[in-house]
Formats: sequence, structure tokens, C-alpha cells
Amino acid sequence: MAENTLNIYEKKAEEMTRVTFITAKDVFAQTDGGFLSLDANGVHYDRVKVVRLFPFSDANRYLSIREYGNEGREIGIIEDLDAMPEDSKKAIEHQLTLSYFTPVISKIYSIKDEYGYAYFHVMTDKGECRFAINMGSNAVSKLSDTRLIIMDVDENRFEIRDVEVLTQKEKRMLDMFL
Amino acid sequence: MKNDKILNKTEIEKLSELGIEESDIMLKSSIDLSFDGEYIEGFVFVTKDRLGVCTKELSDSYVNIFSGVKLKDKETLPVSDSLISDIALYNISELAHLRLDSYIGSNVLTGEYEGKPVKIAAFTNRYSSDMNVLYRKLRAYVKGGEIPQEDAEGTSENETEESGKKNKRSIFARTLRYFLRYKLQIIVLFMTYAISAVVGVAWPYLTGKVLFDHVLTMDDTFLAKYGLDGKYTLALLMVAITMIGVRLIQAMSNYMQVFVMAKVASDTVRDIKTDVFNAMSKLSLNFFVNKQTGGLMTRVLSDSERVREFFIDGIPMIFVHGITIIATFTVMYRLNWKMALIACILLPLLVFMTVKLRPGLWTLSGKRHRAEKAVTAKANDNLTGARVVKAFGQQDTEMKKFMHPSNNLRDAEINIVKLRNRFSILYNLVQEVSSIWIWLVGVYFVLGTKEIELGVLITFVGYVMQLNGPMNFFSWVFRMWSESINSAERLFEIIDAIPEIREKEDPVRLEHPRGEIELKDVTFGYRTGRPVLKNINLKIREGEMLGIVGRSGAGKSTLVNLISRLYDVNEGSISIDGTDVKDLALKDLRRNVAMVSQDTYIFMGTVAKNIAYGNESATREDIIRAAKLASAHEFISKLPDGYDTIIGASGKDLSGGEKQRISIARAILADPKILILDEATASVDTETEKAIQYSLRFLVQGRTTLSIAHRLSTLHDADRLIVIDGGRIVEEGTEEELNKVENGIFHNLLELQNKSLSLGSGF
Repeated sequence: MAENTLNIYEKKAEEMTRVTFITAKDVFAQTDGGFLSLDANGVHYDRVKVVRLFPFSDANRYLSIREYGNEGREIGIIEDLDAMPEDSKKAIEHQLTLSYFTPVISKIYSIKDEYGYAYFHVMTDKGECRFAINMGSNAVSKLSDTRLIIMDVDENRFEIRDVEVLTQKEKRMLDMFL
Repeated sequence: MKNDKILNKTEIEKLSELGIEESDIMLKSSIDLSFDGEYIEGFVFVTKDRLGVCTKELSDSYVNIFSGVKLKDKETLPVSDSLISDIALYNISELAHLRLDSYIGSNVLTGEYEGKPVKIAAFTNRYSSDMNVLYRKLRAYVKGGEIPQEDAEGTSENETEESGKKNKRSIFARTLRYFLRYKLQIIVLFMTYAISAVVGVAWPYLTGKVLFDHVLTMDDTFLAKYGLDGKYTLALLMVAITMIGVRLIQAMSNYMQVFVMAKVASDTVRDIKTDVFNAMSKLSLNFFVNKQTGGLMTRVLSDSERVREFFIDGIPMIFVHGITIIATFTVMYRLNWKMALIACILLPLLVFMTVKLRPGLWTLSGKRHRAEKAVTAKANDNLTGARVVKAFGQQDTEMKKFMHPSNNLRDAEINIVKLRNRFSILYNLVQEVSSIWIWLVGVYFVLGTKEIELGVLITFVGYVMQLNGPMNFFSWVFRMWSESINSAERLFEIIDAIPEIREKEDPVRLEHPRGEIELKDVTFGYRTGRPVLKNINLKIREGEMLGIVGRSGAGKSTLVNLISRLYDVNEGSISIDGTDVKDLALKDLRRNVAMVSQDTYIFMGTVAKNIAYGNESATREDIIRAAKLASAHEFISKLPDGYDTIIGASGKDLSGGEKQRISIARAILADPKILILDEATASVDTETEKAIQYSLRFLVQGRTTLSIAHRLSTLHDADRLIVIDGGRIVEEGTEEELNKVENGIFHNLLELQNKSLSLGSGF
């Protein structure tokens, strides 16, 4: 019996340490309820979560697919989203757009800083937005020299993909964060 | 941005088509995302038997306004003209398994409807607190309860939000109060400032007009006023003496000024810092976890410095310079208004230049500051990690990585020098030009039109030069003001932060506790909506030793933190000797509950002071006894300075096990009725662990002990064990009882540990 429990743990450990890949043969689909389902290795999961392992540096590669319940156990990893069949890819992308919802700033109308807060008025790919950030906390994180993630007071994210494509005037407004 | 329950007309019409009246709506919260990841407008509402999700598409000109954005005076929140595009309705009787999932940029309300999982609504974080309230109430309602009445929680939140928006004037008044404590000194300061202002105006007049035009031209009518007509040498002497006198008075007043200022400035800064520090030490643990403590301290220091700067250097200067400017202009105007106008014609240019160029300088110096910080951080990072860098042979790459911030700093430095250079050259140029200009025009007036005399000209030159300073001062004092108010606001934010753990008024004293602990239905989470502990019920008898077992992250440490009231429970209650911990005097609670935790902290000071921490009256013998019991005496005796060895941040470095033993000795000396051991022997070797366990056996006698351990062998002495998993107590009983539970967590863990131990000894 002692042997037995040890085996259980060893199995668990093995499972935890194994890297499983999900490939083109596994099928993702969107359910009627709006969730993502997966059929992999003969098992059907009617609701899975997608987690980007490198959300900034490589957003479309190494996606961890996890069960919805069961403490979010990892089912496997997709190495490259682009290598997945079109339908699966579409269904996954649909999930990702919502869960990683981050408007990308395309134009800065104004940034005013006052009493510890900065007030942004910008145009994003999702529409015009006005938001406030707390200057005391690290609201602006630099992913690289030219890429910024800005977090408003509620921790909503906004992204500036490339500072260099902004106009001189816009850059000058951003100067205090660069 | 709280949304009210009022619907607009089209919404009411649309809903009544579906048979829903405005008065039917019991709960409502806004949403702002579609499932496709686009901004929308909409709301979720709950009626007696239905849950509805109303969504509206946005027009192109719609502006999303997020929390904290201040609307201009006349601006109101944009009234949406977007039309309702969809209303989804769910029968509450068919809804189940509601969940609120939060992702990186969105939150989704999901559930099961008619047995099938569905997404109900999506929204960004701006509505997450509103939705959380709706979700909690709705979930209770779905489970067959009532919709809880609007509780006080919501309203109190609103209040703090509003009082948080202190206006600048009240912050200013409040800061001023710190300085007004030193009334006498402030009055002296103002007097010295007034003297400087008067001297500033009088000096050019004395050295210019009086000296040249009256005394040197032997102006008898003027001299007669002082009874000096005819006595020219005496008059000259008098002027010289007056000049020396004026300078003397000025020097004296300057001396006084610096002297008094040093006192007031350091005293007020001390007062502010003391208040901040006092407030900070009262704050609950949460505050320090949420704010980065290191950054906090430097911020407090630099902020109080900035506040002082403005109030001590800034405000008086506003008066002095203000008076100087007005007085100088008046005198110049009285002397010769034409000359005054011509002389001042270039002044606005200087002011304009500073106003235009300074902000650039500020931005650049901010940039340099950040670059500097990046370089220090990188260097620091490398030096602390030197071992790893060398072990991985990464010296070269690290050097290369260092180049980047280093280059940034160089560029920032060069930029700032460039701009400053340009600025000062331009500035001096304009200043020179304006001075030459005055001489030119002045000489023309003196020689050409004979409108003024030489003395007046010299006075004018003196005045115009003297105006530069004050004019410039006013060009940046507003920034100084806004920065200092900003700093003051941050300081007050800390001073005003209300500790989450507050002692009740008239608390119950706990003089001689028995040490009985009871937890009733305790639910707790560090973030609302994510409970770490769920419905814990536990009774610990007087003098009992309770072992707590569970995976990391199961909630063990959280449980013991709640008992010493480092946090307050969300639901349920914890009582000691039948009294709720919330009603107990904090001092008594902390004195009677001691914790030896996995993260030991050694304060800067001697070994003895560290052991006697919180127990100042302990004798040397007590300290040695405690150290012996904690198996610490041996290694302490071997330290070069014994019990007087300085340890902590700047002192001798102790190993993890040594630190742990000191903190055990600390707990032994504190002699608490309730003892909490949170992985107390985690970082000591097996041999020391045995010794410590032996001493713990003494320690636990007559005390109620809660012991958390990963190594189950540590818990042999426990009277009872509980196993926590997923925030709940899943197993409970003596070691023997638990071991009998086939496939129980404890049973399996014990097997595993015994097995690996025997395996380990096999090698």
C-alpha cells in the first residue's frame, strides 16, 4: 500500500513535469455558449482557458491550454498558433481578444499631469478613450525602449506599440514616462 | 464612476415592451465590452425573476471615460445616443453556477443556463467593483435567498472617495499649520525678509541718486534738509556711513534669517516625518504589501523636503519679491517715468525666455534622474548577483547590458548640458543687451536731453539688474507650488490612511488569558471575491498543541495571521477566551500571541537586544535562559562579541538557522500565552531541528500552540492535527486517527515523507 501512494505521487510529479504539445490534429471550436472547446487525444473538453506564456515578446506562440475547473490543470501547449488549422485558430483568437483585451493607442491628444495623477486623452484601435493613471505607482511599464504598457487607476491596460511612430508633439507629451 | 439606477427614456420604452418596468429592477450594473472584444455600452439588471443584459453599440464619436478622469466644469458625462441593439433575458430559475472570471484586460460573468454553460456579460475593470456587488447579491438570490439590502459598504466607499478629493486650498492650509506652530520664528523670518526687501530698494537709490546727484553735485537744497548745507565732506562721510550701516543691517538680518530658517525648516520637516512615520506604523500589513516599502520611505523623505522648500523658501519669497517688484517700479516711475518704461522694455523678454525654456530643462533633468536610477539599479543588480554572474560566466554579456543604461545616461547628460548652455548664453546675452540698452538711452537722456542726471541713471541700472531675480522667481514659483502641494497631498494620504485594523473604543483587556481560541465560520481573502479561507470552524483548547498541515498556498499562514489579527476576517469571528479579537486591546493581543514565522526578521542591534525585543525589562539571565532554550546559546557564545555582537542590516551576517533560533528565543522570552510556530524550523539542519524541538517541548508547556509544518515529524507532539486544503479544513484528529484515513491527504503525505526518508538513508 505504501508502494501505491508513492506511485500516485510519482505519477503526479511525472504529469506535472511533462511538457505536452497540442498540435494541428487537436481540434478547437467555439461552443454555443461562447466558450472554447477542445478535443485532444480522444478527450473532449467543453470549456478550456488559453494563457499566453509570452504575452509581450511572443504573443502568438507558446499558448498554454488549461482546463476550466480542476484547478486549471494544463492540458498542453500550442507551440505556434499560426500552425493551427484556420478554424481552430479563429476560435482561439476569439477567446484571446477578449481575455487579453488591451486597446492600442494610435494617437495622443493630450496628457496632463496634476497632483500625482496623469490624465490621458487618446485614440485607440477600440475608440477614443480618456483615462487617469497614478504617477506614484508604476503605471507605465516599458517593455522595450519603444513599447509601453500603461495601466489606469483600475488596472485597465493600454498599449503603445511603438513610440517612434508617434509625432514629435506626441512624443514630447510622453517624455515624462520615457 | 458610480452609475445610477436611472434609465433613460428609450431604455424604459424598450424594456416595457418586454414587460419590465423601471421599478422592477432590483440590481443594475454597467458593462462595457462585447464578447468580441470591442467597447460597447450596456448594463446588466436583475428583476424578481429575470436577469437581463442590455447592450448598445457605440457611435463613432463616443469617448470612453474611465475612472478618475476629471471632467471640466461645464462638461457632463456624455449622454449616449446609442440605440439599444440587444436585450438578452434569462430566467433566474434556470440559472446556476454563476461565476465572475477575471482576465488580463477583461472580466466575464458566466453561468449555466438551462444546463448549458453561457457567457452572460463582459466588462473592463472600471465596472468590476460594481459588478462584484451585483454578482454577490445575485448569487445569493439565485441560491434561493433574498437580495441583500443596500449595505453601508457602498455608501462609505463613496464618502472616502469624496473626502479624498481634497482641494488644493485645504492641503495648503493644512501644511501651513505645521509651520505656524513656530509663530515667533516665522515673524522674525518675515522681518528679516522685509529688511532685505527694503535694503534692496534703498541701496541703488543711495548709491545712485543720493550719492551722485545730491552729494557729489553739492546740492545744497537737498543737504539743507539734513542740516549739512556747505559741509560737503561731512555729507560724503555720512553717505558712506549710511552705506556701511545699511550693509551691516543687511548682513545681520541675513545671519538671523539663515539661523532661524535652519531651525524652523528642520523642525517642521521633523514634525511632518514624525507624523508620517507614526501613521505608518499604525497601518495594517496590507498597506505595506500594496505599496513598495522601500520606495515609500524615499518618497516620504523627498516629499517632506519639497514641502519644506516651498513653505520656507517659496512663500516668504513671494512676498519679498512681490514687494521688491512693486516698490522698485514705483520708485523708478517717480524718478522718471519715461526712463522707467524704456529701461523695462526688455524685461518681459527675459521672463518669456525662462517660461519658454525652463520646462524643457525640467523634462530633461527628470530624464537624467530616471537614467541615473536605471544605471544604479543595473549596477546594484549585478553586484548583488555577482555570484550567479560569475557562476554562469556572464561577465561579458552583463558588461554589454550595462552599456545600454549607461549610454542613456550619457545622452541625457549631454542633452541637459546642451540645453542649459544654450539657455544661459541666451539669457546672459539678453541681459547684457538690456543693460547696454539702458546705458545708451540713459546717456542720451543725461547728455542729450538733460532729462535726468547721472545718479538717476546709475540707480536705474541697479534697479533693472535687481528686477531680474524676482521676475524669474515668479516664472517658476507656480511649479514649485504645485509640486509641493502634490508632495503634501501624498504625505497626508499616508497620515490620513485609516488603518484597516482598528482598536475598538474601550477595548476589552486581556490580563491573564487562558489561551482558548475559537474560530466560527471564518471566511477571509486578501482580495474581495477570492477567499483564501472558507467557513473555517475550529476550537482550540487551553494549552493544546494544534498541528496544521497542508500544501503551500492552502491558507495555513493566513489562518494564523488572522489569530494575531494582522488582518481582519471577512465573515465569521475569531475569539480568544470567548472574546472577539476585534474587541480586544491590540496591545494585550499582541503581547499574548507570539509568532515565530518562516521569514525571520533581525533588527539592527545587538544579539541581546534582538532577543529582548518587545521585552525591555528582561535581565541578562532571562536572555541567556531564553537563548539556551532556543539552542542559540552555543553559537552566540562563539560570536566574537557574544551577546553584544551587532547583527542585522549592517552588522554580522547570521545564517538562516541562526536567525531562526534568535527569533525562537525572542518568542520564548516574550512568554506569550498563545504561541504560533509558522515553519519555525524550516531553515535549520536536522540536528539543530532536533535540539530546537526539544526546547520547543518546554516552550509549548502551559501554552496554546499552533504549529505549521511541512515536515510532519515536527508535529509528533501535537495533541491534534488539522489538514487544510483549498481553504477548508478537510481532515481533523490525532496523528494516529488521521493516519488511518485511507487515501487521506495526511496519510499520503506521511507515507511519502517516511518513504523518501528511508530512500534517502539508503544512499
